[in-house]
This record gives sequence, C-alpha cells and structure tokens, in this order.
Amino acid sequence: MIKIRDLEKIYRTEEVETVALNKISIDVKEGEFVAIMGPSGCGKSTLLNILGLLDDPDNGSFLFNNIEVAHFNERKRAELRKHNIGFVFQSFNLIDELTVFENVELPLIYTGVKSGERKKRVEEVLDKMQIMHRRNHYPQQLSGGQQQRVAVARAVVNNPKLILADEPTGNLDSSNGNEVMTLLTDLNEQGTTIIMVTHSEHDARYSHRIIRMLDGQTVLENIMV
Amino acid sequence: MLKSYLKIALRKLWKSKGFSAINIIGLAIGLATCLLIMLFVLDELDYDRYHKKADRIYRVDTDIKFAGNRFISAVTPDPMGPTLKKDFPQIEQFVRFRSAGGLLLKKDNENVQENRVIYADSTLFDVFTFPMLDGDAKTALQEPNSLVLTATTARKYFNTTQAVGKSILIDNQHTYKVTGVIKDIPPQSHFNFDIFVSLATLEESRRNNWLSNNFNTYVVLKEGANPKQLEAQFDALVVKYIGPQVRQFLSASLDDLKKSGSHVKHSLMPLTSIHLHSDKVAELGANSSIQYVYIFSAIAFFILLIACVNFMNLSTARSANRAREVGVRKVLGSLKTNLVKQFLTESMLISCIALVLALLLTFAMLPYFNDLAAKNITLDFRATPWLIPILLLLVLITGMLAGSYPAFYLSSFKPIQVIKGKLAGGFKRSWLRSSLVVFQFVISIVLIIATIVIYKQLHFIQSHKPGFNRDQVAIIHNSSPLGNKARVFREEVVKLAGVENATITGYLPTDSWRNDNPVFADPTLDRKRAVSMQTWDVDHQYIPTLGMEMVAGRNFSKQFPTDSSAIIINESAAKMYGFDDPIGKNLYFIRDINHPENVSTLHIVGIVKDFNFSSLRQHVSPLALMLGDNQGNVALRIKSKDIPHLVSQIEKKYKAIAPGAPFDLTFMDEDFNNQYRTEQRMGAIAISFSVLAILIACLGLFGLAAYAAEQRTKEIGIRKVLGATVSNITAMLSKDFLKLVIIAALIAFPLAWWVMYSWLQDFAYRTHISWWVFILAGLLAGGIAIITVSFQTIKAAFMNPVKSLRTE
Ligand SMILES: Nc1ncnc2c1ncn2[C@@H]1O[C@H](COP(=O)(O)OP(=O)(O)OP(=O)(O)O)[C@@H](O)[C@H]1O
Ligand SMILES: [Mg+2]
Repeated sequence: MIKIRDLEKIYRTEEVETVALNKISIDVKEGEFVAIMGPSGCGKSTLLNILGLLDDPDNGSFLFNNIEVAHFNERKRAELRKHNIGFVFQSFNLIDELTVFENVELPLIYTGVKSGERKKRVEEVLDKMQIMHRRNHYPQQLSGGQQQRVAVARAVVNNPKLILADEPTGNLDSSNGNEVMTLLTDLNEQGTTIIMVTHSEHDARYSHRIIRMLDGQTVLENIMV
Repeated sequence: MLKSYLKIALRKLWKSKGFSAINIIGLAIGLATCLLIMLFVLDELDYDRYHKKADRIYRVDTDIKFAGNRFISAVTPDPMGPTLKKDFPQIEQFVRFRSAGGLLLKKDNENVQENRVIYADSTLFDVFTFPMLDGDAKTALQEPNSLVLTATTARKYFNTTQAVGKSILIDNQHTYKVTGVIKDIPPQSHFNFDIFVSLATLEESRRNNWLSNNFNTYVVLKEGANPKQLEAQFDALVVKYIGPQVRQFLSASLDDLKKSGSHVKHSLMPLTSIHLHSDKVAELGANSSIQYVYIFSAIAFFILLIACVNFMNLSTARSANRAREVGVRKVLGSLKTNLVKQFLTESMLISCIALVLALLLTFAMLPYFNDLAAKNITLDFRATPWLIPILLLLVLITGMLAGSYPAFYLSSFKPIQVIKGKLAGGFKRSWLRSSLVVFQFVISIVLIIATIVIYKQLHFIQSHKPGFNRDQVAIIHNSSPLGNKARVFREEVVKLAGVENATITGYLPTDSWRNDNPVFADPTLDRKRAVSMQTWDVDHQYIPTLGMEMVAGRNFSKQFPTDSSAIIINESAAKMYGFDDPIGKNLYFIRDINHPENVSTLHIVGIVKDFNFSSLRQHVSPLALMLGDNQGNVALRIKSKDIPHLVSQIEKKYKAIAPGAPFDLTFMDEDFNNQYRTEQRMGAIAISFSVLAILIACLGLFGLAAYAAEQRTKEIGIRKVLGATVSNITAMLSKDFLKLVIIAALIAFPLAWWVMYSWLQDFAYRTHISWWVFILAGLLAGGIAIITVSFQTIKAAFMNPVKSLRTE
C-alpha cells in the first residue's frame, strides 16, 4: 500500500539545516499494523506527516497504492487524503467550538456526504466507540480518554484504508491508553491499515511490526509474533 | 507610576504594530472627520454674530395668503420700516433694503456688470456693524445717487480705499458719488454685497404702498425690549395701515378677505437665525439649513463612534492574548484598579497619537473640504484658542470610550480561569463584539443608501422634462443696454446660421424675474374668482424658442392684431379657474396697482403645458403669458457644431449695438442645474462621508479578521487535515462576518428608507426609492466586507496545517 524510497526531508531555518529524514525507505502492506519508534527528534512525526500527505518530501519517491504522490500539489493531496486517510493525534485536536457529534461529522462534510447519511454514519461510529451518550457535549466537558475516543471516531468515520496515529496514548493514563489501543487493534482486524508513532514499548506490542528510527533513518525492524 | 504605565503602554503598542496602526489610523480618520465637521458647524452657527447689536436685530417677515396662493417672504411694504419706528418706542432704528438686480459700472472705457448691489437706507450703519474705512457713516447714504463700496470694490475701481468724493458712471447714464468705503463684509453673513446705493435714489422708497412687498426691513430693538410683545401688536398694525388701502384698491374690507381665507401677517425673525432657519421668498441671499447642521453633526458623531468601536473590538478581541499577562499580574498581586489604569493609559496614548495624526489630516483635507462645502474654513489655534481644550476633551472622551470596556473586561479576568484556558474560545461567542460590528455596518449601509438616493434624485432632476426644452438654449443676461434696439438685435442674430430662434424677455423658467399678481375671472373683480399667478410679459417667439408645448388653442400671432390683449395661461391656472372650455374666455387684470381703476380685459387664446419655473421642490403654480415689452434677457435657440464660434458671432452683433456693455451669456441647461447646487454639494459630501465611514469600519473588520484567523489557526489546521479545501476555509471564516453584514443590512434598510423618504418629501418632483437601491447597497457593503476579510482568511486558509498544529 505504501512504498517509499530514499525519501528526504530537510528543514531549513535561517541558521541551521535539519535533515529530518535521510533517504529513508519503508514498505507498508495493506492490513498491516506498524509501530514507529525512536528517540525524540529523530523524524517520526515528519515521516508520518508525509505519509499522511500533509507535507511533501524534498526528494525520493512515495508510492501510495502504486501511484507516485511525492510531487502532488496541495489540492491533489487533499483530495487523496480526505478519502483514504484518518488521523489520530497525541493532543486529540478536537475543535472546541463544536460538539462531539459535529466534530465527528466534519470529514463527512468535506467529502460531500449527504446530511441524512452523515447522521447515520456518525451515530454508528459513536455507538461503536461507546460515546453516543456524549454526542451533544463539547470536548472540554470530556475526559482525555473520551476525547481520544472521539478523535478515533472522527478518524474512522470516513472508512479510511489507512489510519495514522501520532502518539495516540501520549496524553492518557494507562487504562485509557489501553482502551484506545484496543480500539485500534479492532479496527486493524476489520482490515484498516494502521501506522502508529509511539514512545511506549507496551503500546508497540499491539502492532505487527516495529520500525525503529534514528536520525532520520530506519535502523531496525522487529517483526512481532 | 504614570511613567511606568506609559513605558509599558508604549512597549505594548510597539509590540503589536499592526493592531496599533489599525487603531491609530482608524481613530485619526474618525477624529479628523469629526474635527472638520465641527469646524463646519461652528462656522454655520457663527453667521451674522459679528454685528455688535446682533442679538437685538430682527427682520420683519410677511406671510400673505391671497386668492389661493401663499407667500411667506422676507420682504415687507416700503412704509413698514418708518412706520414701525414711528409707532413703537421700543424700536431703536430700522433699515430697509431693496434688491437692485445688477448695475453697470463704468471702469475706464469698459462697462462692468456688478451683481452684488443693493439699495439701503442711510440708517444701515446704525443697525449693522460695517466699519468705515473712509467717509462718514452718519451721512454716507443720505443723498440720492450716493454709493458706499467695500474695500475690494473701491480698489477695483479706484486702486485705493480712500475713494470718498470720487464719482462713477452707472448704467451709462447717471453719475453716482462715492460717499463711503467699508471693510469687506465677512463671508459669514446672510447677505453679502459689494455696493450699497442710497435708497433715497429710488422714488419707490417714498410711495407709502402697503400692498406691494419689496423691501427687506430690519429693526434694532432697544436694550431689554421684548420681541414677542412687539410681534403681538402686528395684527393691529395690519388693520390700521393695510386695511384702508385694501378697501381703496381692492374694494373689499380686511374682514371680507379673511372670510374668503386670505390673510396678511407679519413676524420677526432674529438676525442670527436667518442663515440656518430662513428659506423664504425674496431672501437677500441663499441661506443654509439647520437640517444640514443636524445631519452633519450626527454623521461626525457616528463616524467617531465607528472608530471607537474598532478600538474596543480589537482590544477585547485581543484580550485572550493578554489574559495570561493579566493572570500573571494578578497572581503577582496587581490590583484591579492598577490594571484598569494600565489599559486606560494605553488607550489614551493611542488616542493622543491619533489626535496628532488627525490634526495633520485635517490640515491636509481642509482645502478639499472647503471646496466640497463651498466654505472658507481655517484651522487656526491663534484665532480660536478655545479649540485646544475642546480637542483635549475630545481625546479624553474618545480614549475613555474606546478604552474603558476593554479595561474593565480584561481586568475582571480571574487568574484561575485564565490558567485553565477558559478564554481561548471566547472569540466567536462575544455577542457584544458582533453587535458592535453590526452597528458599524448599519451606519455604513445607511450612508451608502443615502448617497445612492441623493444621486438618483439629482439624476432625476437632470433628466426631468420640465415642460420646456433647456438644451441648446443660450441666454444673454441683462440685455437692457440694447435699449430700444433690442428688436433690431433679435432680427440680426436670427440671421446667423446657428441661431434658430430668439426671444426677448426678463422672464425665464430658470432663475430670473418673477411677477405675481391677482387675475380675475369676473369683470367685477370678485375676489372669489381670482387666481394669484405669475404674469409674464413675453413676445411672439417665447413659446417656440423655449420649446414649450400648447395643449389647447394657439400661440400669440402677428396675424391677430387683437393679440395685444391676448393671454395664454398654463394648465394649472386653467384648472384653478375651472372653465369648461377656457379658450375665448375673458380675464381681468390691473396692470398698475397705483391705478386700480384701469382694468385690462384679456382673452384667453391658448393653454400652455405646465412647465417648471421654480425649483422641482415645488409643484407648478398658475402662470399667465401676455405680450409685453420686457427686455431683461435674450434667449436664443441655437443649433451649431461650433458653439464657441457662434457665441463670438453673437457677441460681435451685441457689442455693435451696445458698445461697452458687458456680454454675459450662459446656457440654460447649466442655469437649470445650478439651481440644484445644494443637492449636488450634499451628494458629494454624503459620498465622502460614506467612503470614510466604510473605510474606518473596514479597517476594524480587517483587524478583527486577522485576529479571528490567528485565534483559529489550530482549528483551521485540524479542518485542513480532515480534508477542508482553501475555499472551504475561506468560506467558513468569511461567513461569520457576512452574517453580521446581513443582519446590519436588515436593520439599515428600513432606517435608510425612512430617512431618505423624509428627505425626498422636500421635492414635489422626486424619484422613488427602488428596491435595487437596497440590493446594491447591501451587495456593496457585503462585497467590501468580504474583500477586506479575504485578505486575512485566504492567508489563513493557505497556511500549512502541519505548521499550525505544531504551534500547539
Ligand atoms: N518546521 C520545522 N522547521 C525546522 N525544523 C523542524 C521543523 N519540523 C521539525 N523540525 C526538526 O526536524 C527534526 C525531526 O522532527 P520531528 O518532529 O519529526 O521529530 P519526532 O521524531 O517526531 O520527535 P518527538 O518524538 O519529540 O515528537 C527535529 O530535529 C526538528 O527540530
Ligand atoms: Mg513527534
């Protein structure tokens, strides 16, 4: 599903040039659950942003479902992104002014789903995440675990083929964290590809494969049994 | 303490330069506009106050209703002045003016037309304060054929202001003596003349005729005299003096007249009220209106308010950013009052800087404003030192108004709320901020609509068919120097290739002579069947030259020798008489009021289609045309590709017959448009103010939009990650503002309709306020708002979502 070769990303500021990704090559197959680990600043988030088509690489090739997307412009990336990819962030990134229901509904609005259909699908996914009873609450009225469940609901409401999660349990205690990991595993079992960045060996164990990074490169890959 | 407040305030200003600039510029434009209008209003209120006796001087006005017509005028009968002084001890002095039209003054070998000429009693200087530079104020205007000139006029003719004793040839026949030179009359006068001629020159001033009103009469009351008490005795005066003459000339008693609905009333108009409150017949000059003073003051107030609203809005919008600062200060033990003082210092500082900028702006805009308002206003603090404290007060009020809400709002934050981040989402929910933006746009939209309607009405006037054809008509004004050769001149010019027709008369539908008289339908001169109407002496060519239409009967014709006693009336007169078929009917008319026994019998030969001869503010009133010999002007219907050449040919012919006479030719369509100068001026001023109001409102909107985008950076990032496109984001951000503009429009529409509907009531002939005016104004305001906001929203929408989420 994902095939990147010699991908480079270099950040240039006035004084320094940071090589965030240094000719990195990775393959991810459909249905896989991959964890990415590595020390702070090694380029994990950068990689995830590129995989999520939020950012473009400076060099190298990126095949997404066998289509070369490395040089897609903003509009094409957005188009591909909104139909295929869901995101879960460490800091949830819910919109404070919108209710739980409205937050989850957003991706459907942007992909042009009709309002009747939207209602059905949002309710379905809220049900599955067991936060239906909170549908009319605002994010600030929820606990961290609940907020992250809303974020996961929002990520999957569009039935994306790929979910990218950047430290999804980073702001949660262990029981809430486990709950989120169970959700992701369930999703993976139903066929969704998942790539997750994490600092926790415990969470990484939920995955099929761990990619370890250092200074913008992969250094080791563990296949989980 | 203050120093530390100031230091922090300055640092804050500098740190957020963008917001400070928007605040300062907006406030400066608002203050400058306010200042300009204040100067304008002060100037208007200051008229005629330079006369030492200003608050004791009154003009005697007349209100006559006779034969279905009403005249509210600034003139009285000629004996009014002397009689008042004789009969009422509380009157210290009187002075009468009689309009002269223009005079020809000989300068070297040229005759120069002087139009600002008036006949005045020798008591002029007892009443009004016109300092004499040369001559004796007591005696200057006593002798017939004596003149008092203003300094400028004296210099023009004699190169000196010491001109007493010199003489001037007037109208090429009479020699007048200069008996005084006065300082130029200040522009803030309701009348302004260059030449005063002794009223003793005119026989008319001694006629003792109480039935004709031609004299502007002013009286000075003695110190402490009560004008109301004097006014109360005017009815008795009418009975005593007008009564006998009514019986003599109209063979009726005053009571009879009263029963048929007629009346004669006199009243006193305070000198200082004339400029803003008097719009009567036969004013000595065109006056302004208090309405404009009110309108302009309101506009000044609102524009300043819009600027203050910007300030309040931007400061409160930024409150979330400063919440942390407030929280920390409070934790460190700062009192609420300290914080209020800090914020007020900031707003005062901003309004002070704005004032300095505003003064510069005012100096820069003053010439344009003077042009626009036809004024000669100056901003001179040496002449008006009291303006300084007023300005400081204005700054204080503005600073307070603009700074108090943010100050109290910000300083009431509880540190705990701030630390919990409760205020971050505060932007969208602030109904106060939203209503303030709505308020700004209500004002802007009302101004836009007002501008459109004023221009629509001007266009309506310009394209209105007034019942005569004013295009391609040239008018030679004051053609009396042609004397008895006027007809010869007419024959000569009609021979020119470009001249189709020509008529000689003083009476034109545009500004010119007027003559109102009762015309009777009954040989017994029964008042009930009289119509008071304009009676104009014209010639055979009048109707075809001016392109008027006959609706019945015919024009005067040389083939009918009896036409010397023919009369043509307009539709409105025909309606008032109520004849079934007016053609052939007789009308009766006293040509000379001094010989009421000589009644002319006139037969109606035609009815001319109503044409406008006063402004379009009034309906067409009754009018009659008769053959007569009046040489006031020559009107020519022309048709030529080379107008300048034709005009020079006409001038050559004119000068050949009247050598040395001034040749004053204008075009009738221009004269027509000149009657609506006030409206044109109002239109131009309204446009300028709406532009300013919108500019300031947009400045604020610009700041708010920038702030909204800044506040919602994270949200925009999230939405983009979830698939929102640039246009999705732009639409989302613009929608919030657009909603406010739509609400504003809904409030502004009825308001503007009501205001402009009232304004249009001043015109008998008026455009209607069509629906598209509102649509256009709404689209304009909405469009401008969107464009303003787009600068910010598009920028925000293009932001890389990765970056905006990173700011977390
Ligand atoms: N916008 C940017 N401008 C400049 N440098 C950047 C930018 N974004 C990331 N970097 C740099 O690129 C490198 C990789 O950053 P990245 O965020 O991918 O690290 P990370 O592995 O996700 O770290 P963490 O585990 O702390 O989240 C870092 O050195 C970072 O400083
Ligand atoms: Mg990271």
